[in-house]
Amino acid sequence: MSLRIGIPRALLYYRYFPFWKTFFETLGFEVVVSRPSHWGIIERGFKFADDDTCIPMKMAFAHTIDIKDRIDLLFLPRLLSVDGKTCSCPRLAGLPEMLKYSMSGLPAILDPYVDERHRNSSLFHSFSEMALALGKSPKEIKQAFQKAESAYELIQKRMEGGEKLPDLFEDVGKKNQTSQRDLSRKKIAVVGHAYCLYDPFFNFDLLRILEEAHASVYTQERVPKEVIDSEIREFGKDIYWDSGREILGASLHFLRSSEMEGLIYLTCFSCGVDSMIEPLVRHRAAENGKTLYLCLMIDEHTGATGVLTRMEAFIDLLERRRRRR
Amino acid sequence: MKLTVPYLGHIDIFLNAMARKIGPEFVFPPKTSSRTLLLGTKYSPESACLPFKFILGNFIEALEKGADTIAMITDHGPCRVGMYDVVMQQILKDLGFQFDWIAMDDTRILGDYLLRFNRERKKRGVSLWESLQAIRFSWKKVKLSESVERMAQKARPLEVKRGETTRVLTDSLRWIDEASNFRELSQTHQQCLEKFNRIEKDDTQNPPKVLITGEGYMVINPHANQDIERRLGEMGVEVARTVWFTTQITHALHLDLFNPKSKRKAIKASEPYLKHNLGGECNASIGYPILFKKEGYEGVIQLLPFGCMLEAVAKNILVKVSREYDLPILTFSLSENLSETMIDTRLGAFVDLLQQRRGRKRNR
Repeated sequence: MSLRIGIPRALLYYRYFPFWKTFFETLGFEVVVSRPSHWGIIERGFKFADDDTCIPMKMAFAHTIDIKDRIDLLFLPRLLSVDGKTCSCPRLAGLPEMLKYSMSGLPAILDPYVDERHRNSSLFHSFSEMALALGKSPKEIKQAFQKAESAYELIQKRMEGGEKLPDLFEDVGKKNQTSQRDLSRKKIAVVGHAYCLYDPFFNFDLLRILEEAHASVYTQERVPKEVIDSEIREFGKDIYWDSGREILGASLHFLRSSEMEGLIYLTCFSCGVDSMIEPLVRHRAAENGKTLYLCLMIDEHTGATGVLTRMEAFIDLLERRRRRR
Repeated sequence: MKLTVPYLGHIDIFLNAMARKIGPEFVFPPKTSSRTLLLGTKYSPESACLPFKFILGNFIEALEKGADTIAMITDHGPCRVGMYDVVMQQILKDLGFQFDWIAMDDTRILGDYLLRFNRERKKRGVSLWESLQAIRFSWKKVKLSESVERMAQKARPLEVKRGETTRVLTDSLRWIDEASNFRELSQTHQQCLEKFNRIEKDDTQNPPKVLITGEGYMVINPHANQDIERRLGEMGVEVARTVWFTTQITHALHLDLFNPKSKRKAIKASEPYLKHNLGGECNASIGYPILFKKEGYEGVIQLLPFGCMLEAVAKNILVKVSREYDLPILTFSLSENLSETMIDTRLGAFVDLLQQRRGRKRNR
């Protein structure tokens, strides 16, 4: 029987899952993902996790608890820098230790250390070291890595084309389906960390609420990397967080476009990255004036009704603006 | 140019001495008060960390006092201090202040800043020798103020009259700030030693030793940590702390290779618990308790601003260190909603715990 590798459905899962899944499955491992978030799972994590971290971290604790008894190895990569210029949130990099020291009964942890700023810890190097330790041959690893990379790139392309991550994850590798575009729909941009945007339990299915209210939703993945780069260059300060850089670059791009009617910044309480990026986006939105801006902060106590009410008000305001024009 | 900087330990003594010798003029923010924090909290982003709020409040008050240039450090992550400069500039401009901004990038501190310093020096007509002497003099002053503070940490738990050490410390720091040449400074040194020796002490006591570690700004600045050193000292505890103005500078310049308790050594000591250096004070916060435990320290207090990205990682790992080294660790996660009573109560309980552990060991 092949080894079961567990991936908690949290944090970087919402970004790199296609890569990881393809990599491990090509090498002949079984990939097990924790169940989608629901209160029964999450509550346990909230009890376990430290109160100085953010909800996404607490949810990672919860998903690890959910999965730990069904797997042989727990996969928690430490992606310090994936492109060699930016760095990740340090909390994500410290997650393996935080889990290890505050929980008992964890399976062995696979924690490849990826820092593209140094040659001996590049993505390929770290992943192949990990796979070598698991008894795979360099040739197999190289093949699996290339396959994983192309799977990841394919997903990125399809997201730039407008597909939503949750739909994509259901069918990693399946055919592209083009969605119908309705021009009369309101265009709303939603930015935030991938794990905030794509966990419907966390954000009370915000993206669906918006789509049901006849809006087409644009997320930061729709903005090509080159555009983000040029926006950041123009902004003047090189943002060193990978997620923060993307969010700011995409927001500036959305605010510049004349078609975008609303911009929603989705954040979670006590997020360090957002605490510095959000004021910048807010300031730019106020200067620009034509795009309606809302910052939605979610904490443990936020109720679905609260989010729904604010979304309804936001959409009403958008409609009133349309009528006035 | 009237320059202002954020508080960082005895940076005011250092820069005052520089300013008197070679310039430029410094306008220090007024002593951090409740108004400072109120201003900082009012204009800061809601979830910014406590140092941001203090520093912004300080800058607002310094600009009100007449400063026209702000020098602020910046960084390349992952701590958010590297983003402070963009966000603060934007907030201060929105408030209608006029100012120049100097972003001090610590990775280029050697090349770029020496060049800039040299340009400034030539403009003022100060010779190279003079400016080197000025730096040496200012550095000596800070060194002396820090050694005076260390003396106070040792003397405070033993003092018979509560508050005497703090008075002597305040006086000594003022004398050091006032000394205008090397001769005066060495006289001041003698004077301080005498004053400290004259403090009436109860030498029969054997005070418990506690280390204060954590995020740099919170550890180094008494206004940020509610004067936790004095509070502990007056509860009869000998205190040491991990972050000093001079250690920060020597670490940044890689000049602390031979110091047995340098940040570098602390980071090395943290390796069994956290293999990779995440940046900031995270690894050092884990390593220092291990280094100090070996020297007979009985307890550790970790200070962090609420929501700190790095120290939250350290906090979780310190749980393990605490268990393995049999070392009680108390964590204070501080936000602008500070309560002195809360701090006193928790410190009191912690000191009680340390005393009880001693009793238990004696009985065994």
